[in-house]
Amino acid sequence: MDNNLAGDSPPPPPPPPPPPPPRPKWRKVAYGGMQIGYDDNYTDETFLEEMVMNANVVRRDLLKVMKDSISISQYLCIVALVVLVWFHTLQSSLDETSLLLLDLSLLALGFLVLLLTEEKMLSLRLLLRYVTNITFFTTGLYVLAPVYQTLTRSISSDSIWAVTVSLLLLHLFLHDYSGSTIRAPGALKSPSLTSCISVNASVVASVFVASRLPSRGHVFAVMLFSLQVFLFAPLVAYCIKKFSFGLHLGFSFALMGLTMYYVYALHRLFFVLFLVLVVVVNVVCPYWLIRMQEYKFEINGPWDEAKLCFDITD
Amino acid sequence: MAEPKLRILMVSDFFFPNFGGVENHIYYLSQCLLNLGHKVVVMTHAYGNRTGVRYMTGGLKVYYVPWRPFTMQNTFPTVYGTLPIVRTILKRERITVVHGHQAFSTLCHEALMHARTMGYRVVFTDHSLYGFADVGSIHMNKVLQFTLADIDQAICVSHTSKENTVLRSGLAPGKVFMIPNAVDTAMFKPADVRPSSDDVITIVVISRLVYRKGADLLVEVIPEVCRLYPNVRFVVGGDGPKHVRLEEMREKHSLQDRVEMLGAVPHSRVRYVLVTGGIFLNSSLTEAFCIAILEAASCGLLTVSTRVGGVLPDDMVVLAEPDPDDMVRAIEKAISILPSINPEEMHNRMTKLYSWQDVAKRTEIVYDRALKCSNRSLLERLSRFLSCGAWAGKVFCMVMIIDYLLWRLLQLLQPDDDIEEAPEINFCN
Repeated sequence: MDNNLAGDSPPPPPPPPPPPPPRPKWRKVAYGGMQIGYDDNYTDETFLEEMVMNANVVRRDLLKVMKDSISISQYLCIVALVVLVWFHTLQSSLDETSLLLLDLSLLALGFLVLLLTEEKMLSLRLLLRYVTNITFFTTGLYVLAPVYQTLTRSISSDSIWAVTVSLLLLHLFLHDYSGSTIRAPGALKSPSLTSCISVNASVVASVFVASRLPSRGHVFAVMLFSLQVFLFAPLVAYCIKKFSFGLHLGFSFALMGLTMYYVYALHRLFFVLFLVLVVVVNVVCPYWLIRMQEYKFEINGPWDEAKLCFDITD
Repeated sequence: MAEPKLRILMVSDFFFPNFGGVENHIYYLSQCLLNLGHKVVVMTHAYGNRTGVRYMTGGLKVYYVPWRPFTMQNTFPTVYGTLPIVRTILKRERITVVHGHQAFSTLCHEALMHARTMGYRVVFTDHSLYGFADVGSIHMNKVLQFTLADIDQAICVSHTSKENTVLRSGLAPGKVFMIPNAVDTAMFKPADVRPSSDDVITIVVISRLVYRKGADLLVEVIPEVCRLYPNVRFVVGGDGPKHVRLEEMREKHSLQDRVEMLGAVPHSRVRYVLVTGGIFLNSSLTEAFCIAILEAASCGLLTVSTRVGGVLPDDMVVLAEPDPDDMVRAIEKAISILPSINPEEMHNRMTKLYSWQDVAKRTEIVYDRALKCSNRSLLERLSRFLSCGAWAGKVFCMVMIIDYLLWRLLQLLQPDDDIEEAPEINFCN
């Protein structure tokens, strides 16, 4: 046959190669060795799908945080007032009788507040128990007053003031502002280590200051005053707050006003410092906290340790 | 004799004579890599009197560097103290790839840092899960971020572990390979003779009795199961702080004859304990990769477990939430499907699903990938560290620069040519 030259149809194209078998779907499992068609570093869209972000974050409101920070400045005022009384006693501006009067009136006021804010009626037996406890406490203090007076006679005054200031600062730092340390009997939360340390620090600071006073009567009065305030003021403040928030606010503002007045009368610089401190605690810190909340990034996922849903009772 | 294809240095604080998951992993992986024709050297710290160079099975050379552990089997972190010894080992053995194990090991982090400074390829394997919220975890994650900022490849032992590592270190997911652990199925064989009594079902638990391993869940679950099924007995192996609670539980519910407490079980006897049972119970609250259930499945036991999805096929494991009621339900389901389980068949399936040879081959691929990564100069590497954080980035850069300078100083004092290379010793297999 002649070879056809022109007009020949081009040779048929080779048949296309059969398509490769589709690789099986990738499974997120560890067994079975390498999965065919996939590398070990294959990452698909199910990667990190079980991650949960910011699940337990509480969104805070500026006004609420500022209202809560009033408890802190209230306690700062209480401590400032105690320091003022110490100062005036050491300078002999306050004498024994007025101190004792102050103690008694504070005790009566505190009791009144507790009675009024208590929901259930206090039985006579409970009242009697309180009175007995207070009598024991006061008698014990009176008997030990001579011991306190001579306790730090051999230590120089500078060391005493330095230690007192540092103990008070420690007390303020570690104080439990949520109010779980001094609570009515039957509380759920037991006091933590830091709150116990803070109470002890305040008691030791009171003892140090009391030991610098001239007479036994002074020592007894100041000790009674300091211990009353440090041990029972948190309880009273807690009761007031629980009873009515408006009363709590009024009480705090009254305390703040009182403190500012007396600090101003004492020294201008201290007044300015105290004012700055209160403003920082009440205004600057809440604002700062709210600003920092944006950076909160809490990650939870299947790698977390599971939380047991029951309580472990040992 | 053939030149080995790769020369690998495994670094970790955790190696034999200490027993555990990481130690086993390094040992088995090294043995399989030796069988594939590579050269493997292990570096770890001294254990008691065990210092110097030791040789293990197959010619595995182990350097027990004379550094004392100071807490939880970790060497004391002197950031530059290990530079001379690491340099000497790397030069002597003519290492090409350095493979570090376990984020918790300080020796691993230091060795990887020095290896990167000297220009070697590094691979890192993470074996544990960490949280993000407590102080210890935050520090740990920062250290990990430092090490992984400049790594060539990383390996994780499960998908959960890969997600966790990527989140903690900020590494790209494409750089992390998922290669699971495996189990020595030849050692964990089912019993030759099946236990004859069909009416007594034995549930085996072997774990450390600590909070993390869910010992408290056991205290709630065991009495309930014993009450529902009079023919079930428990065998509990392992020791720990929660041992007392389990004993109290036994006393309270009078289960002394139905719950047997074995105390700590040495690893050589684990198989013997496993084959006495039909069901294996694992109640851990968190687990990166649970080797215990692999051992149990290899011995032909049906597993009931919490939180270990994806490790075994669905017909070999019954999953439960870490909640006593759900676990009891899972055990009920396991008891109902137990008659249909054939231990021999399960063991044969396990030999195909997990093997150390497969792990070694996949690790070899990772090493090849690592070797293909380009060598970066010091300046390029420093830019990677700067992204680790506002303050941390600069601190890390300082650390690396000082490391580089110290390395150059060492090269001046003891030139590379002066370090004698170790001869190859052929161990006839």
